[in-house]
Amino acid sequence: MQRTPSLLLVYGLLLFALLCQLFPWASQGIVLRPDFMLVVLLYWHFRAPYLCNVGTAWLIGVLVDLATGSLLGQHALAFTLTAYIALTFQRRLVLFSALQILVFTFSLLVFTRFVVLFLKLLAGNEMPSWHYFWPAVTGILFWLVLNVFGAITYQKSSKAD
Amino acid sequence: MLKGVNQRLEHQQIPTFFVSGNSVFSRMVFFFALSIVLMAADTSFNYLSQVRQAFAGGLQPLERIANIPGELTRDSKRYFATHNQLVQDNHILKQQALENAVKLQRLNTLQAKNEYLRSLLSGDIPIYPRAVLGDIAHAGRDPFKKVVIVNRGRQHNIQTGQAVVDAKGVLGQVTHVYPFSSEITMITDESFSIPIQVERNQLRAIAFGQGGNSLDIPYLPSNIDIKVGDKLVTSGLDGIYPAGLAVATVTRIDQDPETSFAKIISTPAAKVSYHLQLLILESLESKEAPSNKAIDNKGTKLNAKNT
Repeated sequence: MQRTPSLLLVYGLLLFALLCQLFPWASQGIVLRPDFMLVVLLYWHFRAPYLCNVGTAWLIGVLVDLATGSLLGQHALAFTLTAYIALTFQRRLVLFSALQILVFTFSLLVFTRFVVLFLKLLAGNEMPSWHYFWPAVTGILFWLVLNVFGAITYQKSSKAD
Repeated sequence: MLKGVNQRLEHQQIPTFFVSGNSVFSRMVFFFALSIVLMAADTSFNYLSQVRQAFAGGLQPLERIANIPGELTRDSKRYFATHNQLVQDNHILKQQALENAVKLQRLNTLQAKNEYLRSLLSGDIPIYPRAVLGDIAHAGRDPFKKVVIVNRGRQHNIQTGQAVVDAKGVLGQVTHVYPFSSEITMITDESFSIPIQVERNQLRAIAFGQGGNSLDIPYLPSNIDIKVGDKLVTSGLDGIYPAGLAVATVTRIDQDPETSFAKIISTPAAKVSYHLQLLILESLESKEAPSNKAIDNKGTKLNAKNT
């Protein structure tokens, strides 16, 4: 089993994700911009569910709402639902292969996009083009990067022991 | 803190799947409800705008940090601008300056004449609004909206509703004001509409943003006198935009015999997505006496374009 990450690392990474989210993406970049906060959230849901639970997901969702200027509660609701699914499956992840986990995460990202889209349409936004789902693809790439980073820190900390 | 973590860990290790599942479920239900309450509160009441403002103020330093890499690359690009490009720019600018100088000479006499004629007719002297130059901090983070954030806010006396222009024409309107920044909705945004006039025949209409890079003028009969290439300017009837600013050029007219309305598509005159700087015009209501001689250069230039 992996070592327990510290609370500082959890929130430090979330802060880093917020910075990435706030980064001024050019007009083309905004289409591709992954949901950094969501990916980091899912990463912690899987690795440290006792530090990062549904409440954290909700709070981060509100932050994303405020940062993007969208209707308050849209992302919060989507993230809450995603966190719920992620956490109910979290214990079973040990049985999954790496590829299965990847597919599971990807479907969670797509699911979140769908929920946000649904809420946005309810709130009266126009239907976006299929480009709207790009962030799920780039998000899964960011997820891979995060996991490599996680593996490296894990190896380092186990060597230190 | 560590102890707390360990305790929670121990709790985690007790194989009570159902209890833990339930608690996750109940938390989910709780936060689900909370989100819905938040959404309802945000749509129906304006309580949360204060929260937004406070948050935007607090986010300012973080945004600064996030902007650093972009600014660095931009600055270094500017620093390493090639000799050729500088020469080219210089050439273009000189030419423009010459053209503008000629126009300006005529403008002063025209303006004086115009004011004289208006005073003869005992009309109001036209108001040339002052403008504040703003830098675009970043394009909005919501891909659903056509907005940009500029680095001028309440601290610089920006108010919601002020018109925003660039050198070519109307860009949009200030929709949210934060302490140090403000959100500007572009004329191409879906929610945007602007009263216009056809420059050629003074026909009045209202143009609506379409989300892409175009404006739509609905509800005009098919036999209306609008041609491709017609210039649309602000009519000034709304009291927000000064009259005579360029808005768009008609690019396409679809006449569908089945409907009695023409579909008129136009492209904005302003370069909506190619900017770093823009001008925020002072709102017309907050004008003191119209006798202000301190006419902003840019304001006059903009108005001059269409006189």
